[in-house]
Amino acid sequence: MTIRTTVVGSYPKPPDEGDTFVVRKTIHGIDKGATTVDDLHKAQDELVRTMISEQEAAGIDVITDGHARWDDILTPFASHMAGFEIGGLLRWFDNNVYYRRPICTGDIEWRGPASVDAFRFASETATATVKAVIPGPVTFARLSVDEHYNDHEAFVLAIAGVLAQEAFELEAAGAKIIQIDEPALLGAPEDLDLARRGLEIITGELKGAETTTVLATYFGDAKRLGADLFTLPVDGFGLDLVAGPENSGLIPLLPRGKRLQAGIVDARNTMLEPVDTLAAQIAELAATVGAENLMVAPSAGLEFLPREKARAKLGRLVEATQKAGV
Amino acid sequence: MHKPDLEGPGLWTTSVGSFPKPPYILEARGKYARGEISRDDLLELERKATKEWIEFQDGVGTDVVVDGEMYRGDMVAFFAEELQGLEIGGLVRSYGNRYYRKPIATGPVGRDKPITVDWWEYAQSLTTKPVKGMLTGPYTICDWSFNEHYPTRRDYVLDLAKVIRDEALDLEKAGAKFIQIDEPAASTRMDELDLVIEAMAIVTEPLTAHTITHICYGDFHHAYPKMLDIPVDQIDLEFANSDYSLLEDFARVPFTKYIGLGVVDVHTHEQEPVEDIVAGIRRSLEFIPPERMFVDSDCGLKTRTVDEAKTKLSHIKDAVEEVKRNL
Repeated sequence: MTIRTTVVGSYPKPPDEGDTFVVRKTIHGIDKGATTVDDLHKAQDELVRTMISEQEAAGIDVITDGHARWDDILTPFASHMAGFEIGGLLRWFDNNVYYRRPICTGDIEWRGPASVDAFRFASETATATVKAVIPGPVTFARLSVDEHYNDHEAFVLAIAGVLAQEAFELEAAGAKIIQIDEPALLGAPEDLDLARRGLEIITGELKGAETTTVLATYFGDAKRLGADLFTLPVDGFGLDLVAGPENSGLIPLLPRGKRLQAGIVDARNTMLEPVDTLAAQIAELAATVGAENLMVAPSAGLEFLPREKARAKLGRLVEATQKAGV
Repeated sequence: MHKPDLEGPGLWTTSVGSFPKPPYILEARGKYARGEISRDDLLELERKATKEWIEFQDGVGTDVVVDGEMYRGDMVAFFAEELQGLEIGGLVRSYGNRYYRKPIATGPVGRDKPITVDWWEYAQSLTTKPVKGMLTGPYTICDWSFNEHYPTRRDYVLDLAKVIRDEALDLEKAGAKFIQIDEPAASTRMDELDLVIEAMAIVTEPLTAHTITHICYGDFHHAYPKMLDIPVDQIDLEFANSDYSLLEDFARVPFTKYIGLGVVDVHTHEQEPVEDIVAGIRRSLEFIPPERMFVDSDCGLKTRTVDEAKTKLSHIKDAVEEVKRNL
């Protein structure tokens, strides 16, 4: 079994220097009445094709659609649920990037799939395996405002119920890997049991044996959760080894047979990592968790980087993985 | 503490820094980028727009004026263009459909000549009111750029601090009595607030001007009261967009510096009625005396239209006059 490469999610939307930025222009055009929403969807389809072909050309084994249609990972889901309004801009963790905060004003209910059409489009376009990405219920709740339930537990579990439906539909659409993003759990260890109950609701809808679930964390270390993180009911765990160097101490504690998605290439700085350094790190990780359980990745979504740098980073990740496997 | 060199009982009006660029500047910047007009052509228009904004502020009666930053793209890119060791990088998204060119530190940062002094002198020549010198703080330049040169963020921030200090000293030599060193990123990471403080100490230590820093809302409840340790005379904060919730923190621990009280939201087209601003200032006066209070907008007004910004500035002045009448 060889070590596999993957990404965490987002991919830079701006094109290479000098190329026309069609999506941005089309959105400006909508504001001026010069282009239509239909034009935007076509431009986004084309952007997904480009993002997929760049990930494939780099040699990434498990890819995403680059979140080409999303501004953040919450709005697309919140805007598809009953009970949410979309609020003002807030800083996305410690980045100079802002997301729109969902505001819960009523009972949360499923109103149809939010991400399934996009997943289907990506998997039909791609040759590589496409992974589906959904936000985790704790992160979703912590980054939103609850003006309705006034009860954190009820709020998290209500969100989990809708995300379970989404995961079920993604699996039915052919998703073999579903990644659940819980970056906010790192700073909220008191929510670990709530996360477990939420994840049980989500993974309970899935046909365990055929679908791999990965809980992704990023932007920091899991030291406040410790090895308890690994008791959550998923098949694999994503750890950011760049922003959370202390995460490497947790890796030997990963239970046998669980997968590790190791974020080893800095998704938030342009400095390119030497291939040899990465290769040595990958070899060490493979020796610890077993090559068959290891997926290597950037530390977070790649949208924090200009396109050229993101591409160069993926190239190095693949090259280092091949070197480590020899 | 350096007292502001101003007359009156306090409650002075000022601005955070940026104003909207009139359409002719946006058009000229596009033409300049495409090589259709010269640097001098653009400069002439930027001077014209600066003069218009100074005249507007004088007309309203603003006490401490700004040049409006007609010549700056964004607050970090402007310094990145002018400083050595920084390159302009590729486009990255900040939110929605908004993107910016994120600079990259590729070598030691340095400055071979003053960056902002010419503009400050020009703006000051147009008015008898004091013009603020406007700088971006070292922590924010670091946080909003990539680093390919320095081994640690601290090394990068402290080097930037020396460069910004030299610029501040040049502004002071030119006659600036108010120098603002913006640190909107300061409230991003609580574990780096000490670094913000350390860097600001390098910048402000030799200055005799009244120093100000503007900090965006962020994680204010955790950053306060520690942020009072940032060595500046005045901290400028957003109040309107959180319905003055910061005052709850001031009730817990008194605010000991001069305040820049942001009383209008810069992210909405809506105009706050004068009576709402009056009420906000009066609530704030329960915690900070008038002689330590400056009043302005929450943040730079550059994302508004020219007309929206002018109305907001007039409302601020009208509200302050109303409050002063009944002090």
